[in-house]
Amino acid sequence: MSNSVFSVISRFVEEYRSSTPNKLKMIDAYLLYILLTGVFQFLYCVLVGTFPFNSFLSGFISCVGSFILAVCLRIQINPQNKRDFLTVSPERAFADFLFAHTVLHLVVVNFVG
Amino acid sequence: MAHLCLFSLLVLSLVLETQALTPTHHLTTTDVARLQAVLSQPFTDLKSAYYSVVGLSKLGIFVADADETCRFINSNLDPSSVESLFYAAEASQALSGCEIPVTNDTRDLLLATVSEDSTASQIHQSVSALSALGLPLASQEVVSALKARISKEDNVLAIILALQTASRLSQQAELGEILEEIEDLAARLDDLGGVYLQFEEGLEATALFVSAAYSLSDHVDMEPPLKEDQVIQLVNSIFSKKSWDSLSEAFSVASAAASLSNNRFHVPVIVSAQGPAAVSHSHPFLQLQVTDVLCQPLSSASVLVESASAVASKSAILSQAPFTLRDGVFELNFMASQPASGYYQFSVAITGDSRFVANHVELKVKVSTRVAINNMDLSVVDKDQSIGPKTTRVEYPTKAKASFMADSHQNFAMTFQLVDETTGVELTPHQTFVRLHNQKTGQEVVFVAEPDSKNLYKFELDTAERKTEFDSISGTYALYLMVGDATLENPILWNVADVVLKFLDEEAPGTIQAKTLYVPKPEIQHLFREPEKKPPTVVSNAFTALVLSPFLLLLILWFKLGANISNFTLSPSTILFHIGHAAMLGLMYVYWTHLNMFQTLKYLAIIGSLTFLAGNRMLAQKAVKRLDGK
Repeated sequence: MSNSVFSVISRFVEEYRSSTPNKLKMIDAYLLYILLTGVFQFLYCVLVGTFPFNSFLSGFISCVGSFILAVCLRIQINPQNKRDFLTVSPERAFADFLFAHTVLHLVVVNFVG
Repeated sequence: MAHLCLFSLLVLSLVLETQALTPTHHLTTTDVARLQAVLSQPFTDLKSAYYSVVGLSKLGIFVADADETCRFINSNLDPSSVESLFYAAEASQALSGCEIPVTNDTRDLLLATVSEDSTASQIHQSVSALSALGLPLASQEVVSALKARISKEDNVLAIILALQTASRLSQQAELGEILEEIEDLAARLDDLGGVYLQFEEGLEATALFVSAAYSLSDHVDMEPPLKEDQVIQLVNSIFSKKSWDSLSEAFSVASAAASLSNNRFHVPVIVSAQGPAAVSHSHPFLQLQVTDVLCQPLSSASVLVESASAVASKSAILSQAPFTLRDGVFELNFMASQPASGYYQFSVAITGDSRFVANHVELKVKVSTRVAINNMDLSVVDKDQSIGPKTTRVEYPTKAKASFMADSHQNFAMTFQLVDETTGVELTPHQTFVRLHNQKTGQEVVFVAEPDSKNLYKFELDTAERKTEFDSISGTYALYLMVGDATLENPILWNVADVVLKFLDEEAPGTIQAKTLYVPKPEIQHLFREPEKKPPTVVSNAFTALVLSPFLLLLILWFKLGANISNFTLSPSTILFHIGHAAMLGLMYVYWTHLNMFQTLKYLAIIGSLTFLAGNRMLAQKAVKRLDGK
């Protein structure tokens, strides 16, 4: 049982390394960064306490929001999904990504206190 | 179905209408005397002489010095003024044996004033002067002139004066149209709360209207179109004011009172109890004064109690019992029917004259009695009932000779009966209190004695249960019985006995503290909200570093993946875009530290639009390059 799980995982990693374009790998690195940042914030909240709660929330929501936006960018840029996004060019996706981030950061900075 | 509803509504309204009004305001004998005093003031000119003389004559009083007054009138008379002639003529008619010299010029002047061109007031004055002086006048001319004036001057006072004038004319004249004005005027009265009915012009206008309407109605012998309730409401309005601002106001009230007490159609009846409406064995007669509005007793009246019933039990005591007239007061021996003490609702009817208005009166009569205390038994009962109770009987108003002892194992009990002194019927007064007073400390505790189903009053004191009321202070307490009620003539405060109460000593407070209600209370210190406890700086710093560490990881990963900026074109739009983007991020930091949302949005709009334009251009260039590269 664990054997098959291990083989699936190693196969997956191999496929990832070979067939994913570089651009997507960069976005994946970014996603990992965002994830870790969010996890560490949550850890602080669990270990030390919720004071100040609004700051924790805004930081955490910022991570979550950024993660989601980056995932959207990755989906739109992926050449394999081109058929689904005929009207959206990669540049357009990036522009949307930047605009949404501006709005997100406006809200986050307002809430962080 | 609709017909049935309508019919029942009609019946209901008829039933409600039979609840007639009775006057809430009327003149008492002191008020009438005050009115006479106001009218008897020495007069300064012809007008005030008129008001005084004629006003007093309406009240049935004649001026003391008639000759002196006559001379005064004659000397102040101005024969060229219609008004002056009016005052003089009317005043002289009220005095006996006073003559005003009349010349042909005077008569011509007065007759000439009777025309459509004079005001209603002038016509009234000339017609009254002509009739007072005994000069002939043409009634029909007057009528037509009045009709013309009424249609021109549509105000209330003018129409009232027209009514007064019409009552001086010959009965053969066509007064029908003027008579109808009474009804029109009555419709213009304001109903205030269903109690008062008056003109907005004031009391004087209302009073003059009443006197004019009744004098005209008497003159033509036709009942005025005023309903009984309206008459009573007019009585309330006119007689609610007991001191009058001016002589003319007093005069108008006097005329109204005179016409209401002596006209052919409506005579309002004022019924008032002499003293409080209460009877008892010492005062068994219920005395009523039945008068007209001028406080003159009605000689032809006969007063009857239609029904009298107890308020509490609604059982009828009397029915159709007549009052007897004695010395101008109607009285009834109510105690002869042996009523129990309490309140009774009387419905009284005054008959004898078909003109009486408001002749059904509702009265509340109180029957008082004296109370006696029977069978006052005091005892000390052991709680476990092992020793039988010793009962001591005490007679009112003596005090028990021995004092009673009760400690925590015993109960002190008291039973008694309250009866009517004369009839022996059991009573349940409103207040039956037992008061225990500690003479040494001044403490006082009051309990209520309750009657049981057989009207026997019981009071039990359980020393153990009631120790909180006594603050566990042992000692001698004087026991008082307090009995009181509105229908009792002899409220009772009786020191029945002395009771020595023993409480368990360890519970007694050291000193007795008077209840301090009015000393300053301890000051309240406001507690501001404590700031929340922050974690130590070391921990915060450590976690900040931890949270920022993934950024390093990101840079390493990107480097390993081969991220580069080799495609960076140095075109203006690219530079502008990057500067704009950096500026936006800087703005976010400044927003966090200094600005508020509005300022930020303002700057963001400026920087954002620049960045957007530059970025658009840059990305377009990139897209072109990408498509070319394909």
